[in-house]
Formats: sequence, C-alpha cells, structure tokens
Amino acid sequence: MVATQTHKEQIREAPIQRRDGMILNQLSQGLFALFGLIVVYILGRALFENPGLFMQQVLNGLELGFIYALIALGYTMIYGIVKLINFAHGDVFMVGSFASFYAISILDLHRWPAWIWPGMSSTLVMIIGTITIILISMFVSGLLAVVMERFAYRPLRNKPRIAALITAIGVSFFLEYFGALPFVFTNNYITYDRPFDVTVYSAGEISPVVIGVMWGLLVISLVAYFMLRTQAKSGDMKAQAWLRHPLLQFGWLFGGFFAFVLTLAGIHLESGGKVWDLSVSNVTLVIMGASILLQVLLQFVVTQTQLGKAMRAAAYDKDAARLMGINVDLVIASTFALGGGLAGAAGVLYATAFKQVYYLMGIIPGLKAFVAAVIGGIGSIPGAFLGALIMGQTEVLSAGFISTPMRDAISFSLLIIVLLVWPQGIFGEPPGEKV
Amino acid sequence: MRTRNLLVLVLVGAMLALSACGGGGSKTLKVAILAPLSGNVATFGQSTRDGATLAIEEWNAKGGVLGKQIQPVVEDSQCNAEAAVSAANKVIDQDGVKFIIGEVCSSASIPISEVAMAKGVLQISPTSTNPSVTVGEDGKTKSLIFRACFIDPFQGQVAAKFALEDLKAKTAAVLLDQGNDYVRGLAEFFRDSFEAGGGKVVVWETYTGEDNDFSAILSKVKDANPDILYVPDYYSKVNLIAAQAREKGITATMMGGDGWDSEDLDRTVTDGAYFTNHYSGDDPRPIVQDWIKKYKDKYGSEPDALATLAYDAANILFTAMEKAGTDDPAKVAAAMEGMEFDVVSGHITYDSKHNPVKPAVILQIKDGEIHFVKTIAP
Amino acid sequence: MALLEVKDLVVSYGAIRALHGISFYVDQGEIVTLIGANGAGKSTTLRTISALQRADSGQITYDGKDITRASASAIVHQGLIQVPEGRRIFAPLTVRENLEMGAYSRKDKEEVAASMEYVFQLFPRLKERLEQAGGTLSGGEQQMLAVARALMAKPRLLLMDEPSMGLAPILVEEIFDIIQEINAQGVTILLVEQNAHMALSIANRGYVLETGTIQLEGPAKELAANPQVQEAYLGGG
Repeated sequence: MVATQTHKEQIREAPIQRRDGMILNQLSQGLFALFGLIVVYILGRALFENPGLFMQQVLNGLELGFIYALIALGYTMIYGIVKLINFAHGDVFMVGSFASFYAISILDLHRWPAWIWPGMSSTLVMIIGTITIILISMFVSGLLAVVMERFAYRPLRNKPRIAALITAIGVSFFLEYFGALPFVFTNNYITYDRPFDVTVYSAGEISPVVIGVMWGLLVISLVAYFMLRTQAKSGDMKAQAWLRHPLLQFGWLFGGFFAFVLTLAGIHLESGGKVWDLSVSNVTLVIMGASILLQVLLQFVVTQTQLGKAMRAAAYDKDAARLMGINVDLVIASTFALGGGLAGAAGVLYATAFKQVYYLMGIIPGLKAFVAAVIGGIGSIPGAFLGALIMGQTEVLSAGFISTPMRDAISFSLLIIVLLVWPQGIFGEPPGEKV
Repeated sequence: MRTRNLLVLVLVGAMLALSACGGGGSKTLKVAILAPLSGNVATFGQSTRDGATLAIEEWNAKGGVLGKQIQPVVEDSQCNAEAAVSAANKVIDQDGVKFIIGEVCSSASIPISEVAMAKGVLQISPTSTNPSVTVGEDGKTKSLIFRACFIDPFQGQVAAKFALEDLKAKTAAVLLDQGNDYVRGLAEFFRDSFEAGGGKVVVWETYTGEDNDFSAILSKVKDANPDILYVPDYYSKVNLIAAQAREKGITATMMGGDGWDSEDLDRTVTDGAYFTNHYSGDDPRPIVQDWIKKYKDKYGSEPDALATLAYDAANILFTAMEKAGTDDPAKVAAAMEGMEFDVVSGHITYDSKHNPVKPAVILQIKDGEIHFVKTIAP
Repeated sequence: MALLEVKDLVVSYGAIRALHGISFYVDQGEIVTLIGANGAGKSTTLRTISALQRADSGQITYDGKDITRASASAIVHQGLIQVPEGRRIFAPLTVRENLEMGAYSRKDKEEVAASMEYVFQLFPRLKERLEQAGGTLSGGEQQMLAVARALMAKPRLLLMDEPSMGLAPILVEEIFDIIQEINAQGVTILLVEQNAHMALSIANRGYVLETGTIQLEGPAKELAANPQVQEAYLGGG
C-alpha cells in the first residue's frame, strides 16, 4: 500500500527529478538483490554442511510462522474490510495471552473436566482443558476487538483514513500502558503456566502409523484436488464449488505439514560423523495443528456462510452490500471479532511456546505479523498465511546461520525485496480493479 | 473572597511548618534508595528496597546515625539510564539527600555515579557488578562511589573455575544479550577463564533484549552438545531460555550468575542448574541466620541476595558515617576506604578501586529448592 | 394510496445542495421514470430513498410507513430494492454468491430456491456461469446479474439506476424487455434513465429532473410529445 502511494507521487513529480530517483532506485534494488544473493549463499552452505541442523531450524521456524499466521490473518481481514491497519492488533494478542494466563493460573480452568468427572483420564482432561483455554482467550480478545471497533474506529469511519490510523496507534499505547498498571497486568515479566506438559518427540518415539496416516491424508487430498480440477475444467459446476471448499485445503495443509514435520523428526541417520536426529515438541505440533485448523475454519466461515459472504461483499463494496440489506456495521464488528479471536488464540499459543507474558509482548510479534500480511498481500487470507510462514523461516534461519542481532534487519529487508518484485504483495490484487 | 485569602494563608503557613519539620535537617538524615521497582527486574528492586529499609529501621531503633533519625527517600529508577538520572537529580536537588543506596543494574548505576560525583554525593550500589561503576573512563577510581558486591570478572572466574574443577566440564556454550553490560561482562570473563583453564567454548551466541524466540540458537547448542550452557542473564530471560532449552532436549548443565537470584526464577525448567551468588541462606554464621529470621518476620519470605546486599550496603554506609563522625560525603568516603566490615555476605575490605574483597558462593536449584554447594574465596 | 411517496426532499453533500425539495409518487404496479441530464440529482434521489444518503429535510413514505430515517437494511427487508448505477456486482464473489447476497434479507430457504429458478428462467446465461467469479462476466452479463440479484430479494418496488448504461443497443432492448416482464409479474418500478426515449416508451408516468428540482411531470406519452423534452433529451431520437 505504502509502496504504491510513493510510486504515484513519483509519477506526479517533475521528469528530471524522477530520472534522478530512478538511478537511486536501481542502485538500491541492485544492492538488495546482492544482499539477497549473499543470504541465499550462506543458507545454501549451511544446508550443505549440516543438513540436520538446517532442517531443525526449519522446524523451529514453522512454530513461529504458524503463530504469526494467526495474528496476520486478523490484520489482513480488518484491512480488507475497513482499509485500516489496526496497530492495536498486537495488543489484542497480548490481552489474549493474559486472559489465558488468568484462566490457568488463577481460575485453574484448564483442569475443569477433572472437577466434574474426577475419574477422567489426564490426557483427555488436558485436551479439553487446552481447548477451553484457547476458546476463552478467543472470546475475550474477540470482545475486546469489537469494543475497540465500536468506540474508537466506528466514529471515524467516514473521516480521512489517517485519523483512524493514528487512533489505532493511540489505542495500542492505551492497551499497553493500561495493562502496565499495577492492578491490571502489572509491568512485570510473568512466568506462564502451560495448559499442558511439554513432551519432546524424536526418532523412535513417533508412531510410523501416525506418519503414514498424515502422508495418506496428503495424498488423498492431492488426488482429490487434481481429479476435481480436471472435472472443473470440463465445466462441472459441482467440481468447481468443491475445489474451493476448505475441507480440501485442510486435507493438504494438515496432512502436508504434519507428514513433513513428523517424517523429519521420525528418522534417525548416522553417516560419516554427521548425525540426523531432529526433535519436535508437542508445543510445536499443537501450534501447527491449531493454526491450520483455525485458518481452515476461517476459510470455511468466509466462503461457506452467509456472514462470511457478506464480509467479502462488504469488503468489496459497502454501499452495494447495504443495498442487499446487509447490516454493514454488524459485518464489520464480526470481522473484528473474528480477527481478535484469532489473535487471542495466537496469544495462548505464543505464551505456551515461550512460557512468559508481559504487557509489551504484543509489539514485536504484532509488527512481524503485519509485515507478514503485507508480504503476502494485505487483504488476502492465503497471502497472510504464506507471508507468516516465510517470515518465520526468515527469522529463524537468519538467527541460526547469519546472526541473531541481524535477524530483524533481515526480516524487514525481506519486506522491501518482496515489495520490489510484487508491489502488492504475493497474493495482493492490483489496484484499480474496483469500479 | 476574604475566606479564600484566609484559606491560602493557612495553607501556606501549614506548608512552611511542614517543610520546617521535614527538611530542617537538624533532626533527620535523608538517604535515597534508588531501585527498579517495576519492569523486567522488578523483584530485584523490591528486594533491594526491603533490605535497605530493614537496616534503616534497625538503626533508627538504636537511636539513628550521628544522633539523627534516618529518613529513606525511595524512587523507582527502572534499571535504565534515563529514569535513573532523573531519579538521582530529583532526590539530590529536591530532597537534598547526600547519600544514595542504589541502583541494582550497572546500566543505571553508572549514570547515577556521574551525577553523584558531579554533585558531591556518596553512592553505594548494593549489586551493580560492572567494573565501570566505581572506575571512570580515565581509569581513576571515583572517590565517592562504592559497592557492596563483588564484580563481574570475579563472578565469571568463579563460574569457570567451578565448571572446570567441580563439574569436570570440557566444553561450554555461552548465550548473551550483547546490549547488556552486566551480561556481556560475565560472559566474557567466563569465556576467558574457561579457555585459560583448558576448556573450550564451542558456541558463542548473542541475542537482543527484545528476543523471545531462542529456538534457532538453542538448536545450534543442541547440535554442538556442550557440557555447560552458561546464560548469565536476568531471571526473566533465563526463564524463557531454560524453558526452550528443555523443549529442544538440551542436556547440558545450565549455569548463571547472581541475576538468577529471584523468587520469580522458574525452578522447574532450571532444575539442576548452578549459579554464582553473593550469599547463601544455608550459611551457619549467626549474623546470617539472625538476618534471615528478621527478614522473615517482617516480610514473610526468605531474603534473596539483592535484599541481603542492600542490607549490607546500608550497614556499611551507616557504620562508616558513625566512624567518620560527620555527614560530609567526602569524609565518610575516606573513612570507608580503610575500614573492615563484618556483614551478612561476609568479611569485607575495600580495594583501591572501591570493590569489596569477599568470597562468592555456588548455589544449585534442585527440586524447587535452592541449595548451597560451596564457597569460593578470591 | 401511493406505494412510494417523496415529499419536499432536500439533500446535500457537505455544502453543495443536490436536491432542492423534490416531490413525486409511484403507485402500485406502475413503471415510473425519472429522466434528466447527468448531475441532475437522479442517483441522489435513489440513494436517499435506499438510505445510503441522509435527507436534510422532507419525507419518504413507503407502503404507508415513514422510512425517511429507517436503516438501509430495514428498507430492504420491506421489499424496496435498488439496482445501483454501474451494476456494482461483487466481483470477487461467484455468480451464485452474488445471488445469495441478493437474498440476504430472506430466511425462507425454499422460497429463495424458487426465486433462483425464476431468475434462471429470466437469465439462462447466469446458470451457466454460476461458479464463476462475478468480475469475469461481460458487461451485459454483469447488468443481468445486477438485476437478477435484486430480484432475489423478492422486491415489491424496484429502483433501477441507469440499467442501460454502457450496454450495446441490442442488450439495451433486452434489458428493457426484461423490465417490462418483471413489471408484468407485479413488481412496481422506479426507473432512472439518461436514455429518455427508451424509458418513456415503457413507463406509465415520468418526471423530468433538472439541477435538483422537478421541472415537468405527467404521463409518459405526454412527456415524450413535449417539445421541451424532445429538444433536451430526445434530440437524437
């Protein structure tokens, strides 16, 4: 978005100035391309030298990427419908983490099934408890997002867009420093009790049956995809509709990622002093599973329900949506609720992964997820997902093989490089398509 | 109109009377306690305040210092340079204090020491371990600045010595926040001593204070499989790193410094780890046991090293004032240089750089408890 | 009693006044046309009736109820449906989804399915394109989709804003045939058109709007014969 505007401004400027700018632009593009090549070279060498360590880093990056994905989805949905970059979104994520912290540490809600049915198996209690905690956080964060929209953004909806943007920054500071008050969240770093215990799986501890099932799921959904595509091309409308169905997406995303991760962690090799022995923790698996599931559920809501279709309609043309009898205010509020809910879920997962919550924890992940959404093409749901995964990999790989203090510099440079190639982001729609 | 004038008059009069009582100077002696009461090392600041306050109450009960009651002025200096300087300026200019106990963090104590030297105020930091707190850039000792704790080089050396001799370690991985003087100091001195003693540092990785995700560097640690994982950061970071290290299946023995000494240290993820510290509650000396009892009675928990050092710092300061017989900071400083003190954290003398010469202890976290392992003398 | 009655309607955009107190009515079963040049205030009138634009003063009565302050969705729920200017179909949504959006205000699934069948009878081509994105349709197909979408709401009164705009002459004929067919099914129609010739040929009555005021009104045949109208709007014939 920002890139297009500067581009337009450049065109409006005098031709001489523009030529000067061109030389500088090319120079900077060249530099970034060179920079990118160096990074690719370093990573390639790392892969060659120690493939085991490299793939372990890829697994680490997935964990981070899947959390960013949930936050990025909120940014992109809200931008899609109200064209607002909701800078307070990272703080909604933070509040989600705290909601789950209180639910676990104070109310002990992650063990509620054990209160009611004391004989229940601890695994089942853990699963139900964890899901409960995620739902509670999603509810609290969703509610917060709705309140924020109603009181801070809606009154500014017909004002210049910059007003809402500045307000978003204000809301962000408000949530952070209101949270810092001693009777709210305090400004301390608080150790987070996970809703479930950590187990680390490596070769030999992962059942080959599970790996087989995941590969099966992937293969089935890919076969289904190609069959449907052939039928769809020949004009079968049922096939065309099924091709877009989230169930198919769930099959290949869930099957694909789990097959990949479990296979990598499930094999053990030793040759010439090099050892391939990767591990994956249940935290990573829960994050991956929850993130994919929620993403697919979101796709389901957006493509298969009346509300989701109304959201897409309103995102495209609000007046036309009103003429259909769609209550656009309600649809916008629902979008905030969904986006906030996803951020809340991300908050639980993030706190579970890093075992700490504090009042400024939303800033950096929020910013990274925003960059991910822009890289993927803001407004696009698959774009946010892909952008977040790219972001997670970039971060972990640069921390692992280049330099930890440089990793944010590299991640944010990635933004510039991607925008140079695709000014609208990878899945972004070119401007001016709208009537 | 007339009643309002009267009201103003009464208020002004009352204020004058109050200030005469408070700042008149003849009856009380103001001492500032500068500590981070909020933020990522909040427990350090709260302990420091509690320890120093307890010492002040004891002296006041005995009749005060130089015949005057001590009045503490507490400010939140937040462990950062800006807040610390403004807090120092406030207590010196506004409250008129001549003695400062604080700060906890070296990164805050160093700027405070500049203010204190410029304004002729004596500062004693209970826990700032960086050498630059008491020594200026020109290499000269700052005449009015002291500390109650040993310094980073010593702590790094002790940790390396313990790892090599007692744990029989051959290899070590060191993770450090490069933006934090304290952490970098410990890490560098540990590396130097460890390698001088025949060990090998196989992983040396830096991160920044904002980082939460350490999976990338921990995977490298896992790959290198060292004997020791040295993480000399504050407890809040250590909690994060230790939890993630466990998930990565890292089995190296974790070690750290006095930044680990907090109620909020996550003792499940750091189980089995060792850290260097200033004192141990298991020490049988009567002064130690007496102190623990007094602290428990007042605050209901065991004192940590921060509280202990703040208590020691206050006692050192007041003892030296009694000896000097005056509240002139320069004369108190001169007296302090030649004295010997028996305080909770050991027998202390000051070297020419105003650093106390005293032993360190090694502690281990085991099953949720902190156990005394051994004392290592300088 | 008239199905729709507009009384002394005044509307402005900021400081610029678009409508200076216009009044007109539409009776049940009629086709009424509002003709006028570009910028005369025709679209503003329709936008205000559909509550996309607020009236400064005046009154809009529909089916005996005052709807001047009603919300856009409440108006749609009462069967007052607009086909907006420029079609405004939802380009990223499929044709089916566009039609479903048209039926957004209706909850009775069976009747909605029946409406869909009816729409396919009127526009067989839409049925072939059902799973295609709306944005991939041709201009004529998009206009048909826009009308079809409005019919999905089961309108009693259909407001149509420039349905012939940007269409090839043969398609214009087709659209106007369809408008008459819809009207024959009992749907009242308020038609806003720049193509005054076509509009007056199918309408019962007409109003001529000029710079925010109604200049002329009367039966469509009379207006078509009026020399003023002929000169201003039917010049080319």
